[in-house]
Amino acid sequence: MMMTIKGKLIRNKSLFVLILFSLVIAVLNPRFLTVNNILNVLRQTSINSIIAAGMTFVILTGGIDLSVGSILAVTGAVAASMIAGGANLFASVMTALAIGAVIGAFNGIVISKGKIQPFIATLATMTLLRGYAMVFTDGKPVSTGSHEVAGVFSSIGAGYFLGVPIPIYVMAAVFALAYYILRHTRTGRYVYSLGCNEEATVYSGINADRVKIFVYTVSGFLSALAGIIITARLSSAQPQAGSGYELDAIAAVVLGGTSLSGGVGSIFGTIIGALIIGVLNNALNLMDVSSYYQLLLKGLVILVAVLLDRKQKSSK
Amino acid sequence: MKKALILTMVVILVAGLFAGCAAPAAPAAPAETNQEGAKKVGLVISTLNNPFFVTLKEGAEAKAKELGMDLVVLDSQNDPAKEMANVEDLITKSVAVILINPTDSDAVGNAVKAANSKNIPVITLDRGANAGDVVAHIASDNVAGGKMAGEFIIKQLEGKGKVVELEGIAGTSAARDRGKGFNEAIQGAGIEVVAKQTADFDRTKGLSVMENILQAQPEINAVFAHNDEMALGALQAIKASGRSIMVVGFDATDDAVKAVESGEMAATVAQQPAMIGSLGVENAAKVIKGESIEKSIPVDLKLVTK
Amino acid sequence: MSNIIIQMRGITKIFPGVKALDSVNLNIYKGKIMALLGENGAGKSTLMKILTGVYEKTSGEIQLEGKAVSFSNTRESQGIGIAIIHQELNLIPHLSIGENIFLGREPVNRLRKIDWQKLYKDAGTIMKRLGIAESPETQVSELSIGKQQMVEIAKALSLDAQVIIMDEPTGALTEKETESLFRVIRELKEEGRSIVYISHRLKEIFEICDDVTVLRDGQFIGEYPVGDLDEDKVIELMVGRKLSEQFPRISCRPGKAALEVRNLNSPLVKEISFEVKQGEIVGIAGLMGSGRTELARTLYGIYGKSSGEILIDGKPVDIKSPGQAIWNGLVYVSEDRKANGVVLGLSIKENVSLSVLQRLSGLLGKIDMRKEAAMAEDAIRSMSIRTSGPMQQVKNLSGGNQQKVSLSKSLAAKPKVLILDEPTRGVDVGAKKEIYDIMNQFKKEGMSIIMISSEMPEILGMSDRILVMHEGRIAGIIDYQDADQEKLMRLAIGKKEVAL
Repeated sequence: MMMTIKGKLIRNKSLFVLILFSLVIAVLNPRFLTVNNILNVLRQTSINSIIAAGMTFVILTGGIDLSVGSILAVTGAVAASMIAGGANLFASVMTALAIGAVIGAFNGIVISKGKIQPFIATLATMTLLRGYAMVFTDGKPVSTGSHEVAGVFSSIGAGYFLGVPIPIYVMAAVFALAYYILRHTRTGRYVYSLGCNEEATVYSGINADRVKIFVYTVSGFLSALAGIIITARLSSAQPQAGSGYELDAIAAVVLGGTSLSGGVGSIFGTIIGALIIGVLNNALNLMDVSSYYQLLLKGLVILVAVLLDRKQKSSK
Repeated sequence: MKKALILTMVVILVAGLFAGCAAPAAPAAPAETNQEGAKKVGLVISTLNNPFFVTLKEGAEAKAKELGMDLVVLDSQNDPAKEMANVEDLITKSVAVILINPTDSDAVGNAVKAANSKNIPVITLDRGANAGDVVAHIASDNVAGGKMAGEFIIKQLEGKGKVVELEGIAGTSAARDRGKGFNEAIQGAGIEVVAKQTADFDRTKGLSVMENILQAQPEINAVFAHNDEMALGALQAIKASGRSIMVVGFDATDDAVKAVESGEMAATVAQQPAMIGSLGVENAAKVIKGESIEKSIPVDLKLVTK
Repeated sequence: MSNIIIQMRGITKIFPGVKALDSVNLNIYKGKIMALLGENGAGKSTLMKILTGVYEKTSGEIQLEGKAVSFSNTRESQGIGIAIIHQELNLIPHLSIGENIFLGREPVNRLRKIDWQKLYKDAGTIMKRLGIAESPETQVSELSIGKQQMVEIAKALSLDAQVIIMDEPTGALTEKETESLFRVIRELKEEGRSIVYISHRLKEIFEICDDVTVLRDGQFIGEYPVGDLDEDKVIELMVGRKLSEQFPRISCRPGKAALEVRNLNSPLVKEISFEVKQGEIVGIAGLMGSGRTELARTLYGIYGKSSGEILIDGKPVDIKSPGQAIWNGLVYVSEDRKANGVVLGLSIKENVSLSVLQRLSGLLGKIDMRKEAAMAEDAIRSMSIRTSGPMQQVKNLSGGNQQKVSLSKSLAAKPKVLILDEPTRGVDVGAKKEIYDIMNQFKKEGMSIIMISSEMPEILGMSDRILVMHEGRIAGIIDYQDADQEKLMRLAIGKKEVAL
């Protein structure tokens, strides 16, 4: 449907970069291409890619969501303290997810009904929620405790099913669902249409406000999901968790070929983008690269990848 | 009109909220009415996002309460510019002594000088200042702490083994000093550092960096992390891998001490942040009374083991 | 032919999957006005984009006074004296007239500071020449579309170009503005400058052009002195067949009222009451800014109403958004298709189905792709949209074909009342006829149609009744048998005494 020739090129290009990149690393370090390490990379990527999936919805409408990291911190802290306080697993997880979705919906309402630019609106909620996370946790990590429910909870992040870490299943499910929504449902079509031309979308009889609220709700919900996984992995919620994650998520989306101005891009690209970042982090650690050079290399990779993408788009 | 009304209401609401929050948090609330402003002590703290500094602050607050002093605490949020502004605010409030826990030893210089120019005595806590005059520096010796951890690991491994070092934020003095002490200690022993990676003092990063290192290194005997947050993250990674590796942290935060008690972590080097804070206030009181104090006040470190 | 200044020979341009130009020639003579004619999609814009360096040609040659040249961007073509006035306005609304004219070429003093005095003085000189009274410091956003078009023209003049390309320059101009433009064009010609004039208004071609080059479907049809042609001949060359009647009015017996508007008031329109019957076309005439588009958009739920009643099929309806309007069977096809008529970045298929996805989707909002594809194929066939397929992005279509997509999108909603706002603006003669035929077909099927148009012949030729607006109010409603151009004009300028 949206897959024009250009779209296919972009898709294959980021995939191509990922494969090439992986091959180079595999040659440099034989431990890279082991089953264990691949599962390890996928598990580490799950957090960023789940947030980036939500971010893809937002960016496709031409928006941006800076509050994802703060939502992650707040929802993680809520889940951890509920578990620590003896609440049951299902209730804790559902409460955290609901809070994420509600905060996201709030972002969407401020942006659509209040006509505030997404950057400004989510910058405000980002700061506000980070403050709330500090207040809520009193600046200290919240441990889930060591009782039985906490053990089950931690398996959401640290557990395995059939030898594969559970966060990988969660990530796969999120992407399958996101793909389905964006490609096969009318809501997905509205997301693209809104990103291409908001006015024409409104003139076509579509309630643009509702679409905006939807995408920010998705982003908030998925941030909460990432918050639960990260809290479960550590059996503890950090008040500072997720700071800077919005930038990692945006980087993944952009590396995947989605345009920041909206309307163009795919969820498939986003997962590739997230994997490129994940593989890079993993490789730098595997090869014991000095920390001073790590940031340098990461910045370079993003710059080169985005430039490649730009070049491809202009020379269609 | 309607907009203006809503805006006004929001402003009032927010102001009310802050008034409500501020009252219990700051015992120094009657600051403006207090005629004895000279007894006020300011504490500029690098960040309250880290439990260590929160404990430091609490130690200072407890001491101030005990001595009946007025303590104003300002958070620099790890931002030297904010720190400068905080110090300026305290100068404007004409506090008697400023306690600074610098975000960075170099960047704090101008703030110290600003206080010097108004003849307000400055005491640095935990991190020193590379410029300006301070009446005293109160800190635990990070180099000694690193050494303590190194010696502990040598003893436990009986002088031989492979070790991973998780570094703090590149360029910070804590990361430098702890690393320096640790590496000095293990020099000459049969200990090999097989990986040395930064995890930014962060638990989540400690987890993922350790996971990656576990993939790369088939044999690891011990991990030394520059703080407990990273150590606890690394611990999760090690637990998940099913391998048995000794973990030594630094700071002795509540979570880490619990982990040591349960036997998951081998040891953590305890700084005594509460004592740093409390000594700071105590010495500030002495300065106000005109007593002379030591230029450098070391705070004891201790190794917490099971 | 010694006075040829630019000669384009054998120009071919191939886009992925489409041959847009096939060995086309164009001669531009010194001090002459060359008309470039062709239906939408014939390749006029592509040819001009090659001449100005926006596109690279696939093959062929461009000669400037006998020497081969090539440009890879507009700056290079400007450098040798070619300027273009685009059909779409390329002005920056929040800058002044002067700033727009000299954008990127601001006069500066030695310290690289902009010399505002000189800028506004020079701008003022050019504006005066074009007969525009506004101060050059006026913000462009405050100008009417017609005046903005004049600023575009001023911009080209300021370049001191030898060859000026004008793409539909009069599309948005009033008659008076058109006159002063023609005066300027004649002056330019006198100065020995050359002009390429693109327009769908054949009358203008015969009024000011010297020669005519005709393109059809990317092919070069021929170059003729304007004296050898008449309107019918030109149309025949353009569409490749004889046009029978230009306005194929059909008469239907109107049914009962499908749309009734009773005393509608809003900040934009006042005391509007009228009705449209099934199988009837009501034309809305009026000057620009008379409230025609505002009325249509109020009915469509874009602008709010303060009082009044709207009934569809005799039932009062409450329309607060386009979504509700479509639900109630009323659709609006915008005059500004790029801004809000179509979504350029989506494909034809996705545009056509956009308003009716609810009907095409089942459980959990899953779109029935087969039904959607069938709907798009159907639209392409019945509207004869020229395209490589339903997956083609709308931005790659010509203006007329985009308009057909916009129309298809609205018709997909199976409306009872169809509002067309300037349905043939920027559309060539052949496609106009197709659009009229489509209107008639739906009229026959009993649809109620409202057509807003600035072209008097179109209003007179297609409408059953004509509603004339003036300053947000209805100045009069006339049956087509009683209407003529003069009557409509009198009403449109507010001379009430002659109304009926």
